[in-house]
This record gives sequence, structure tokens and C-alpha cells, in this order.
Amino acid sequence: MDMTKDQFDFTARSPGAAQQSEVQECAPTQHYEVLQELGDCHTHLGEHERAQRCYEKAASLEPDEPAPYVGLGVVALQKDLLDDAEIAFRVACRLDVRCAKAYAGLAMVAQQRADYKRAFEMYLKCLELDVDNLTALLGLFQTSCQMGSFARVIHYLQAYLNMHPGDTSVMFSLAALYMKDGRLARARTILLDVLALDPANTDAANLLEEVEQNITRTEQASEAGARL
Amino acid sequence: MPRSSDSKKRHHRAGSAPNEKQGPMVSVLLPTLNRPGYFAQALFSVVRQSYKNLQIIVVNDGGRDVSSVVDSCGDPRVIYINRKENRGKAFSLNEALERAEGKYIAYLDDDDLYYPDHIATLVEALENQTECQVAYSDLYKVYCSIQPDGSRLALGKVVEVSRDFDRFVMLYYNHVLHVSLLHRRDLIDRTGPYNEDLSVLIDWDMTRRLAFFSDFHHITDITGEFYSPVGDSDRISVRKRKDKSEYLRNALTIRTTRPPKPWPKIEDMSIILVTDRLDKQTAGTIGSIWRYSFYPYKLYLPLPQVDAGRFEAGVPNVVIVPVDSSVPGARRIDAALAVCDGEYVAVVPSGFDVTEMWLEDSLHALINSPLAGEAIELDRSTDALWAAVMRKSDLQSARNNFPDMSIRESLESAGITLRRPRPNEIPFQFDQLLAEAQRTEKAGDFSEAGRIYEHIAAGYENQLWMKSLAATAYFKAGEYSRAAQLTDELNRSRPTVDTLLLEARLKRKEKDFASSVDLLERAKCMLDEKELLWT
Repeated sequence: MDMTKDQFDFTARSPGAAQQSEVQECAPTQHYEVLQELGDCHTHLGEHERAQRCYEKAASLEPDEPAPYVGLGVVALQKDLLDDAEIAFRVACRLDVRCAKAYAGLAMVAQQRADYKRAFEMYLKCLELDVDNLTALLGLFQTSCQMGSFARVIHYLQAYLNMHPGDTSVMFSLAALYMKDGRLARARTILLDVLALDPANTDAANLLEEVEQNITRTEQASEAGARL
Repeated sequence: MPRSSDSKKRHHRAGSAPNEKQGPMVSVLLPTLNRPGYFAQALFSVVRQSYKNLQIIVVNDGGRDVSSVVDSCGDPRVIYINRKENRGKAFSLNEALERAEGKYIAYLDDDDLYYPDHIATLVEALENQTECQVAYSDLYKVYCSIQPDGSRLALGKVVEVSRDFDRFVMLYYNHVLHVSLLHRRDLIDRTGPYNEDLSVLIDWDMTRRLAFFSDFHHITDITGEFYSPVGDSDRISVRKRKDKSEYLRNALTIRTTRPPKPWPKIEDMSIILVTDRLDKQTAGTIGSIWRYSFYPYKLYLPLPQVDAGRFEAGVPNVVIVPVDSSVPGARRIDAALAVCDGEYVAVVPSGFDVTEMWLEDSLHALINSPLAGEAIELDRSTDALWAAVMRKSDLQSARNNFPDMSIRESLESAGITLRRPRPNEIPFQFDQLLAEAQRTEKAGDFSEAGRIYEHIAAGYENQLWMKSLAATAYFKAGEYSRAAQLTDELNRSRPTVDTLLLEARLKRKEKDFASSVDLLERAKCMLDEKELLWT
């Protein structure tokens, strides 16, 4: 419809007309977005085959976008097809070296394979790109527990909490790490904060009890040491 | 079999005897040029309209013969004019209009589509819902990529503009898609045919002229789609648009077109240019008036006989009023006033600073003022170069009573209030607010932008369009509750791909994945709708 298009590009003094021309210049990616969202929702609902079809079509519409490959990787991961998942996440990384979700996916694949060192690296890489990625944060927490190494995890949990101060699940994880690291007073402070926000949190209450006992034991031990 | 151009047989006689059951006849004009694949889809979208009383006039504008497509639909309502020479779109439309017999005229380009109820929706509106003689609906603009087999893959469908009719805007630029238009055929007798001298903006020229004779009824239903291939910079329209001087020539031709009177919907304006003689400055002022005025006008130029004789009208709508060289300025204006026929008169001195909206701001204030006896000074008016617009009757009365005074003094003596336009009286308020909202959005204040969009929706029409923008802005601002209220309202009245996608995202935020899937499936259906409808 050539002539009508012309009219809407009329170089006008009216901002409304200018706006119309402006809108025209950026082609939308709606079809891709609908399919990508649909794939994500099907994934959440456990409808893997449907999700996969959506992601594949999304990838065909926007072949340079990493997100459909991340989706395909997640579906493969949920189906326990680790090799397929790794390939999909690698494609996503290749399309966008700053795709944090792809690194989180690679980390999950490595974690499933009990390759904790690689999983740890990949989670860290993800968090470097997206400090807000809760999946990676909790994955890092799990991996560090599996590896017995906490220092770097604490840094990321703290960074996350600076951005999301009321996130009790991350607060709990951080308290657990402090306890494992022997920083009992800090662990107690955080757990008290968790219980202030969520008094019914029994995990936090139980851990606080454990922390309190450890503090008492430590104090008793140091008193005994002083007497000696 | 479809009728060819040499067929004399007519199945329907002049829409004058409408079949009560079927409704009045609608003539659909479908020019085509070298797009047989898309043309087939366009034609079938007309043939399969739910409204049946149609006369479908296909005009091949000297391109590849599409008789096989026309024949394949086997519809006796189709008239095929197979012209060998390429004469342009305006010529083709005029050719089709000569054959049109319907009470109403509709248009379709060969790469666009009607949805099945397009004609029915518009006819119902004009027959039963409004006094207007012109109606238009909303259309999807389909961004698409062209596949190797030539088919179009929809990347997105957007209702880019859903603007209620505004005559002042229509005089300035086109805000109505021609393909969405239905109007009474007899209006063409008053507007005149399509201007075959234009190379671009042909559609606007006609819609602008239609606005002299009727209001336009806006239906916000989406009743069709037009296509915009992504990255196709070689389209004829794009190439033509790049020729700026040609574009400007066309725009100025359109702006200065004055269809034959009477104009039931527009009051004419006369501009009286005050000058001592025809010099370079006066010529410059005339040129600027021609370039910058968009409200219909005639320019009256009272000139001494000697200058009147040597005036060469390089610009349209100039009326020379010969006066004696000894006649002073105000009397010269009286001479022009005696012959001018506009309801409004602007008095402007030579050398006046004529620029964008130089006159229309004050004129718009005057047209919409509820008070009689006002003259609105132009924004750049000064004591030395005084200019104002007023009702002709007021000026005549002032001059009759105080003929020896200056124009300004005579108006004041006659009790005419002289004032400037107030900010809320100038035209394009909607556009100004829209621009403000967009600036706010660009600056990252989505929350405030959402409120401005809602403010516009509440007071300046264009509700669906503005509420849709507001919902998106609120979503970006993280104000999900307000965004959800608006999208829910929009999707109940007129869902689009955009609004469904937005509501799906909001449902996803609430972890309501099942609802999100339902909404996304509806959006996906809309994106695939062409295939669902026509294949």
C-alpha cells in the first residue's frame, strides 16, 4: 500500500505525525516474542514438547537471538538430555558471549554431571554478567557446599542482598554460609532479620537455634580456655 | 465468469435501487500493478466478504495481466479493466470510479487484505450509526519478511495509529488509512476525481478533500491489514519519498487544492496582504504564505494598477485586486474585503514573519471561540507589523462604521476584542501531549509517561491508542497493577497482539502460567490470522 505509507511519513510539523513516522522505522519482533514467552510458559508448566516447538520456531524467526537456545537447553535439561542441553547453551553463548542465562545453563549441566569445579566457574561467570540471577546464586551456593568453598559465594550473596534486601531465601543461604564459615554472630543477626520478616520460617528458627548453641559452646570453650 | 472491460452487461444497476435484504451496493476499487501473487490474496479477501452486495472493479495499471487470477475466482461481481499502458494509481482509481455504481466506495491495494467483515462493519456504521458520509476502521500494519517463495512471513502486527478524526489534522497530514475508508460515491461529484498530476500523497489529497464535505466516523475495530516488508528500501513509495523537492511539490499542490464550493464542513479564509507595491519583500511574503499555510485560503493582493498588470501568479489561489496608487493602506484592504468570500479574514502586512503555524494557531482559537466579536492577533504580530484574523462580518462592520481609521483602530472602536491565542486554544494539543509523553518515556520516567498517556485518553479522544501506550509504560515502570487494569480493559474491548502479549507478561509475573499461555495462543492466532482466514 505504497501511497498510504507515504502519507504517514509526511514530514510534518506536528509531533503526532513525526511520532507516526518514528514508530514505523522500528520493525517489531512480536511474533518471536510471543513464541519465546509461550515457550517459557510451557516450560514452567512442564509441557516440554510444546515448549520445544515454540523455541524452535522462535529461533527460526530470530536466528541471532540466544534466548530460544537457552529455552531449548532448559527443556533438554529437564528431560535429562545433558548433551543436548550443553549444545543448546553453547549455541546461546556463541550468539551472545554476555548471555548470563546460557552460562547458568552450562553450570547446571556441569552440576548434573558432578563436575562441581566447572559448575562453580560457570555460575560465577553468570553472576559476573548478571549479579541479579537468583538461579545462579543458589546454584553457586549448592556447588560451594558440595565443594566446601564459601568465600566467593558470600560476596555474591551479599551483592544480591544489597539489591534485594528482603529476600529471605538468600538471607537464609548467607546465614548458613556464615555459620559454616564460623562467623556465628553475623549468622545470628541475619537469621533474626529473616524471622522478623517471616516469623513462620521454621528453617530459619531451627538454624538460629543451632547458631545460638554454637555461640554458647564457643563462649564456654573460650571461658574455659581463659581459666586455663 | 467475471466480466472483462469490454463487457457491456451490468448485473447491478446504479446502487440507486438497493436490495433491502442485502443492503446498498458497495463498489470496491482494486488497482494492481505487477504483484499477481499478493493481488490474488487481496482479491479473494474481497470476494469472500460477508457483505455480498459488491461491485469489485479490478484495474490492471499496465502491468502483468491478472485475468487468470480474476477468472479463477469465478465471481460475476468482478469487473476487470485490463489496461496495457501504465498511467499511475490516480488514473486507475479514476478509471474505476467511472465504472462504479455502488452507493459507497471502498478501496484496496493489491498487497493488502480485508478481514471478512470489513465492508459489513463500515456499511453498518454509515447506514445506521452516524450522519457521516465517510467511515474508516483500524488496520494492522504487518511487518513481514519475504520468503524465498515470495510469501510473506508476519514478524509483527501493530495498530500503529488509531486516531479519531480531526479535521484540522486532516488538513495538515493524513491520519486515515485509505484502505480502511468507505465513503458515499456521490461525494466524488463534489470533491472531484483523483489528481493525476500527483506522484505521491494521492490518498491524502482525496481524504483531505472529503473532509470539506463530511465528518469521518472512526470505527476502532481492526478490519484488515497492510504489509510493510522489512528492509525493502526499493519500494516505489520509498524511492519517490526520497525525492524531497517532488514530495514538497505534491504536498503544496494538495494543501492549496480547493474543491468546488459549497463546503459544508469548512469555512473559507481570505488572507489580505497589505503592501504598497509589488517588490521582492512582497513576493517573499507571498511565497512563505504559500509554503506554510495549510488551512484553505485565498490570498487577496490589493495592488496599484501598474503592479497588478505585471504580477505573474507563480503560486495558486492569489487574487489581484487593482486599486488606485493614491489609495491609502486601509482603503486598499476595504477594496479587497469587498471581493473576498471567506468567512474569516486575516490581515497581514508585507514582510510579516511567516513560518510554521503562523496563522493557524490564531485561526483555530477564533474558530473554536464561543464568543462573538473577537479578533485574534497572530503570534508574531507587532505594532509595526500588525496582523490578525477575524470574522469577515466583524471586519466589515468595523470598516463600515469607522472607514477613516486604521484597521486596528476601527476594530477596537467597533468593540471587537483584540487578543492573542491562549495555549489551550492552539491546534494539535493531542500531538503536543503525545510528544511530551514520548519525551518522558525516552528519559526513562515510564510512570509519568503512563500518567500523561492516561490524561490524553481522558481528555483528547484516541482512547484505545493512548490506553495501550499507558499500559506499556506502566509495565515498564513496574506498576503492574495499573498495567493489568488497563490491559484487561483493552483486551475486553479490542484485543491486539500487543495488548495480549502485555497481559500475558503480567500473568507470568503473577506465576499464572496457564492464563499466560491462553493469552499468548490468542496472540499467536492473530499473527497467523491471514493463513487461517484465506487459505
